[in-house]
Amino acid sequence: MRNKQLEVRQRFNVRMVYFFAATPLFLGILLFQIMQLQWFEHEKYRLQADQNRLNIIPILPVRGEIIDAQGRGLAINHIDYRVSLIPERVENLEMTLHTLAQALHWTDDKVTLLRKRIKHTRPDRSVLLDDKLQWSDVSPLAARLHHYPGINVEAGSYRQYPFSELTSHIIGYLSLANAGDVEAGFLPSEFIGRTGIEKSFEAYLHGRLGHQREEVDAHGRRIAVINRKAPTMGKTIQLALDTDIQQAASDALGERTGAVVVMDVNTGGIIAMLSKPGYDTNQFITGLESAQWQEWLNNPEKPLLNRATQAAYPPASTFKLVTGLAGLDQSSQLAEGSTYCPGYVEFSDRKLHCWKRAGHETVTMHKALVQSCDVYFYQLADQLGMGVISDAALDWGLGEKTEIDLPPESRGIIPAQSPYMMAAIKSTQSRRKKWFRGETMITGIGQGALTTTPLQIARLAAAIANGGYILKPQVLAHRPTEVLHQVNVKAEHLQIVRSAMRDVVLSSAGTAHRALNQAAWTSAGKTGTAQVVKLSTKKKNKLSEEEIQRHHKDHAWFMGYAPYENPQIAITVFVEHGGHGGSDAAPVAAAIIQAMAEKQALALNQQPDKQKMFSPTVSKL
Amino acid sequence: MKRVLLSLDWILLASLLSLAALGLCVLYAAVYQGDMGLWHKQSMFWTAGMTGFLVLCFVPLRILGLVSWPMYAVGLLLLMLVPLIGDIHMGARRWLDLGFANIQPSEIMKWAMMFVLASWFATREARGLINIAIPLLLVAAPAALIVTQPDLGTTLVLLFAMVALMIAAGLPWRLFGAAVALGIASLPVLWHFMHGYQKQRVLTLLDPQSDPLGAGYHVIQSSIAIGSGGLLGKGFLQGTQARLHFLPEQHTDFIFSVLAEEGGMIAVILLLGLYAVLISRILLIAQRAHSRFASMLCIGIAAIFTLYITVNIGMVSGVFPVVGLPLPFISYGGSALVTMLAALGIVMRVAIESHERIPWQRPGSPLA
Repeated sequence: MRNKQLEVRQRFNVRMVYFFAATPLFLGILLFQIMQLQWFEHEKYRLQADQNRLNIIPILPVRGEIIDAQGRGLAINHIDYRVSLIPERVENLEMTLHTLAQALHWTDDKVTLLRKRIKHTRPDRSVLLDDKLQWSDVSPLAARLHHYPGINVEAGSYRQYPFSELTSHIIGYLSLANAGDVEAGFLPSEFIGRTGIEKSFEAYLHGRLGHQREEVDAHGRRIAVINRKAPTMGKTIQLALDTDIQQAASDALGERTGAVVVMDVNTGGIIAMLSKPGYDTNQFITGLESAQWQEWLNNPEKPLLNRATQAAYPPASTFKLVTGLAGLDQSSQLAEGSTYCPGYVEFSDRKLHCWKRAGHETVTMHKALVQSCDVYFYQLADQLGMGVISDAALDWGLGEKTEIDLPPESRGIIPAQSPYMMAAIKSTQSRRKKWFRGETMITGIGQGALTTTPLQIARLAAAIANGGYILKPQVLAHRPTEVLHQVNVKAEHLQIVRSAMRDVVLSSAGTAHRALNQAAWTSAGKTGTAQVVKLSTKKKNKLSEEEIQRHHKDHAWFMGYAPYENPQIAITVFVEHGGHGGSDAAPVAAAIIQAMAEKQALALNQQPDKQKMFSPTVSKL
Repeated sequence: MKRVLLSLDWILLASLLSLAALGLCVLYAAVYQGDMGLWHKQSMFWTAGMTGFLVLCFVPLRILGLVSWPMYAVGLLLLMLVPLIGDIHMGARRWLDLGFANIQPSEIMKWAMMFVLASWFATREARGLINIAIPLLLVAAPAALIVTQPDLGTTLVLLFAMVALMIAAGLPWRLFGAAVALGIASLPVLWHFMHGYQKQRVLTLLDPQSDPLGAGYHVIQSSIAIGSGGLLGKGFLQGTQARLHFLPEQHTDFIFSVLAEEGGMIAVILLLGLYAVLISRILLIAQRAHSRFASMLCIGIAAIFTLYITVNIGMVSGVFPVVGLPLPFISYGGSALVTMLAALGIVMRVAIESHERIPWQRPGSPLA
């Protein structure tokens, strides 16, 4: 019995040893796990704890403004105020809503709607009650904000285009960042420039994001602001554009479709660049409806197209200046002599007509330009050959991009006899292998496959005025003049062309005489009337009878510069299906010259006041 | 009175008071951003619990032996009432409304079962069919009722305490091994009968990141709190996870992460050290106890404390699934604290009685 008891006791003692050993084992395993977390993986968890408690809230930068040469805002930021509410922080919702409704003049319907919206939102999330408020609306509220816990009044800004339709193509528009932009680091709530200046100077205008580092609790509520980096505002950009001139051009063009370019002949500054019809760029900010966008896309007038740079048309008679200068340069017999215009020219089995069926009788270069004789230039082009003409066109800045900071831009087309250019012809025309003589001749008067943009023609006018300097068109003000290329042209040749252009306006036989002779400034120019390719039956079927008639109307051109003695501006007016250059395009130029002259007279009268004029801070680009 | 005071186990008392101080500090840190009333309540629970502790120091163990069987019978009866008239709370039917108080019969059962087992093994060894089968049945009945409540934590406590007592009572190792093997083999069956939320907890344990905002949220956030505490901690009241309410249940089951975040590994070592002292002291008292019944009681209590500590810290640090067991003396909770202090009171009584009657090296039989 005693032995049995001893055995039991011994067994118990042995078991106790196990228990004594087990205790540190259990606690040791726990300690090991804690060591793992607190020692070896401490860094990882420290970061995670910071991620938990720190919330980095981006602060959107205010976009730089775009102002015109006079400092008027073309793309400005409108400050608005928004009132929002965080339901769980509101002490007495009914009282608060009642007070707000009185202060902000809400209707009962709106209050009911808001009450519903609050009910359906998570209580810790902010609910937008009202936005687009003025300071005067919210100031009484903001001053007493501490009486209304849970209510926030915040300032925000949105883009506004005061001259939206007038400047839609040059200024461009914004839209919210898309998936690609977000990948590139933009926030989904940021607006990005999509076209025009807004796009090409995006990097300057956009500004830099700021941020606020906040400590938040598990419910995402802000406990404290740890630090704050203010956003960098985008830079303000001043354009060479003058809204008054732009407006004058727009008024003169009226409802017609077309483009106007006014360029400083000495600096290349774009004083006006209009494309009609325009579109309301403000709608991109307030929320563009898809129906409206579709309407713009499918509108046969193509309002989204910048006709000044993105569309190329046959330059028509304005191109005769290039043919003429090429002839003078080549010392061609015809350029220095004269020919007889019977109203047509015959070659092989074809007959090409002059616009004036009765003919111009004896024509020199001067007379041919003033009266825009086709026969003279058919013959001159025939003598020069396509190679010379295309080289001259390239020399004068046609058929290549003007390098204006408004991509995308059309090159236009210069057909040529060279195999390289044949490829271009082949792609635009039917599959022909051969270049016909007649094609060179019609190219000489700016018809056929040749196309140019209105901006290229404006630059040509500027180059003729300034002595052959092909300038980069500058959309920004205060930029140094950039000469892309200097045409090697003799001064006396240029003078021949200039005096002919002067007589286009001055002589009673000149094509722009009626429109421009009475203008405030002396001017020189050249009209053009581009024949329109007949519509294909397929396109015809889509259009009404009225539209077909309109589409068969010729394009009207005018290009020129003023004042003649001391050139300041080069003007190009293009009216799509506008009729005749002299009667339909030149009057627009007259209106522009009138506006320019009035402005300068005003500036001269107010010279002493000039210092007081609004001078915006303009960043150096 | 003087005799009792003289024979108190001062080391046990010192470690208990240290835990009390540490526990109240940590609870302060856990609730000071929220409901400070909880801290005051817990202080009152401590006062009440310590009173009970002291009272039990004067209650002879004989009486416990006498009340153990009736207590077990009442506990079982109440437990059977739970499915019939119990209150549902947090998806489980555990509580019984007695009019004057809500009680958890499983809590009573836990201790009653331990007394019964201790008195059973006081005169027997865990050898032979009858000697093992009867305690198994005694545990199986309440365990089956509790697991269906469902209350996995308490069931685990019952089984663990039973196994510990059987081992202490000389359970043959091969039987133990066989039981473990059987247990592992029955895991798939158990899995089949587990509730959805329990399965979810196990799955989440295996990969907390699979559900970072749902079931895994608790474990991830407490791991972050513990890990970010580092060696030295973030400082008293400086824990961001605790202060900003990222920790779930931070004053009850997850209070360990508050301690680990603010006190760092130093505090963890201090806590585990105090627990080690406490448990080994209980085991030492068990070994020196004047009767086998007293030894068994102490071993059962030590086992329950060890299980609580292991499961709680293991759960908070992502080793075990989330099973709601408190961290002894640290977690907020009145009934748990009072019962644990009462248990320690019993241990202290064992120390006192042993000190009185038994010289240092005890001859004679534990079965006497």
